[in-house]
Amino acid sequence: MQAKLEARNISHSYTSNRNVSEVLRDLNFHADENEFISFVGPSGCGKSTLFNIIAGLLPPTAGGVCIQGETSTGKPHPSLGYVLQKDLLLPWRTIIDNVILGLEVRGVDRKAAVERARPLFDDYNLSGRENDYPSALSGGMRQRAALMRTLVMNPEILLMDEAYKALDYPLKIALESELLETVRRLRKTVIFVTHDIEEAVTLSDRVYVMKARPGEIIKEIKIDLGVESTDVQERRMAPAFNDYYQLIWKSIAEQSLPAKTRKVA
Amino acid sequence: MSARSQLLQDGGKVRHTSSPRAAGISPARETLLVWGLQALILAACLLLWEIAAQKGWISTFLFASPSMIFEVLSRQLASGQLFNDVRVTTMETVLGFIVGGVGGSLIGLVLWYSPLVARLTRPFIAAVGSIPVLAVAPLIIIWFGTDITSKIVIVAFSCVVVSLMSSYSGAQQVDQDEINLMRSFGATRNQIFLKVVVPSSMTWVISGLKLNIGFALIGAIVGEYISSDSGVGHSILVGSANFAIDTVLAGLLVVMILVTCFNAIVRVLERWMLPWKYA
Repeated sequence: MQAKLEARNISHSYTSNRNVSEVLRDLNFHADENEFISFVGPSGCGKSTLFNIIAGLLPPTAGGVCIQGETSTGKPHPSLGYVLQKDLLLPWRTIIDNVILGLEVRGVDRKAAVERARPLFDDYNLSGRENDYPSALSGGMRQRAALMRTLVMNPEILLMDEAYKALDYPLKIALESELLETVRRLRKTVIFVTHDIEEAVTLSDRVYVMKARPGEIIKEIKIDLGVESTDVQERRMAPAFNDYYQLIWKSIAEQSLPAKTRKVA
Repeated sequence: MSARSQLLQDGGKVRHTSSPRAAGISPARETLLVWGLQALILAACLLLWEIAAQKGWISTFLFASPSMIFEVLSRQLASGQLFNDVRVTTMETVLGFIVGGVGGSLIGLVLWYSPLVARLTRPFIAAVGSIPVLAVAPLIIIWFGTDITSKIVIVAFSCVVVSLMSSYSGAQQVDQDEINLMRSFGATRNQIFLKVVVPSSMTWVISGLKLNIGFALIGAIVGEYISSDSGVGHSILVGSANFAIDTVLAGLLVVMILVTCFNAIVRVLERWMLPWKYA
C-alpha cells in the first residue's frame, strides 16, 4: 500500500556566519491512510523545523517529502492542512470569515464557503458565534475555530504542532477526544508533533521517538492500547498505557542523560 | 449566592480595580463632575483676565481681553471672513492630509513587496523626513505659486514621511506564521498582501494618521504665514503685523478648535477602520 505521506532522508542545517548547525539528520518516516502518528522528543530535537518541512513551508537541506506519491518538498500541498499551538485567527476577521479564509483564497465564493462551514459550527459548538471577533472567544473556542479553518479545506492529512499545549488540562483532554473522534470518522491521516509523551501515547497508532542535537529518529513504536474508545481519559486508563509511557520515556532519557553527565565532567 | 450579595461583591470589585474615588459616586457622574469643574476653572480664568483688563491691571494692547476676542470673532463671523478662513485652512489641511497621509501610507505598505527597494530607498526617505517643513516651505511656494496648491503640497510634505515610515514598520511586523498559513492555502503574494499585510498594518497606519493630522495643520499654517491671502494663519499673520493682539488670539482660538475637531474626526475614522478593536 502506498503511504499517504512519505519522507526520505530528510536532513536540515541552518547556516549563519560561518556556523553550520545541524538540526535534523537523516529522517525516514511515513504515515498511512487513516493512521495517527506522533513525533515525540525533548526540546532541541528540531520539532518546528520538522513541522515546517512536512508542511512544505521550508525546503530541507537534503531529502524529500512525498504526499500521495507527489513530491511536495518545499511547497505546501493542498491535501495537507495544519494546526499550530498559536491559533493564528486573524483578529480583524469574524470567526466565520476566519474559518473560510482558505476557501476564500482558493476562490470559492462567500456564500458557498459559508454553506460548507456551517455544519462545522454545529459539530464544534460554535453556532451563534459566527460573527464574533476572535478576541471575544475563549482559548478552547479559538483553538476549535483554528481546527475548523483547517478541516473546512477537507485535507486528507492533518499536521499538528502542540496544538493543545496552551490549554488547561480538562479542556486539553476534551479537545483531544474531539479530535480523535473527528479524524476517525473522517478517516484522516494525522501527524502530531509534541513534547508530551502522554499525549503521543493516548492518541497515536505509531510513535517516532526522537533525540536532540541533531534531531534523529531513534525508535519507532507501534501503539495498541487495546481500547477502541476515542475518549482520551479512558485511553489514558488502559493497562498498556504505562508500559508504552515507560518505553518512550526510557528511550528519551537514555539519549539525553549521558549528554548531561558528559557536560558535568 | 443571593442576587444581593452578588451585587455587593461586584460593587466591591469595581472599587478595588479603579482609581481612588469617593464612595457612592458612579463613573458617569464622576465624569460629569470633572467636566463641570474644568468648565468652572476655565470660566474663572477668563473672568480674572477680563477683570484685570477692565481695571487696567494688564495692558489690553499686549494681552487683549476675552470680550475683545469675542468681539473680533463676532465681527469676523458677520463679515463672512471667519467662515472663509476656516474653509480655506480646512481645505488645505484635509486635501494635503489625504495626499500625504494616505499616499505615504500606501507607499509604505507597498514597500512590503520588495525588501530590496525598501532598503535602497531608506536613506533617501530618511533624508526627506529630516527636512523641517518650515525650511522647505518657501521653496514650495516658489515652485507651486501662492494659491492653495502650494499649501496642499506643504501639508502633504509634512505628513508623507511619518505615514510612510509608520505603515512600513507595520507591514514589517506582520506575523510570519500568518503569512505561512496563507501560503499553505496556496495564496498568491497579492492575496497575502491584501488579506493579511494590509489589515494587520492598519493599527500602524491609523497611529501614523493620528500623529499627522496635527502636522498637517502646522503645515497649512506655516504655508499661510509665508504667503497667502486667506486662511486662519493669514488672519493671525495680519493681526500680528498690525499689533492687533485680539485678532491674533482669536486666530489661535480657532486653530485650537480646528485641532480638536480634526482629532475627533480621526478617532471616528479609527473606530470605523478597526471595528474589531472596539467590538
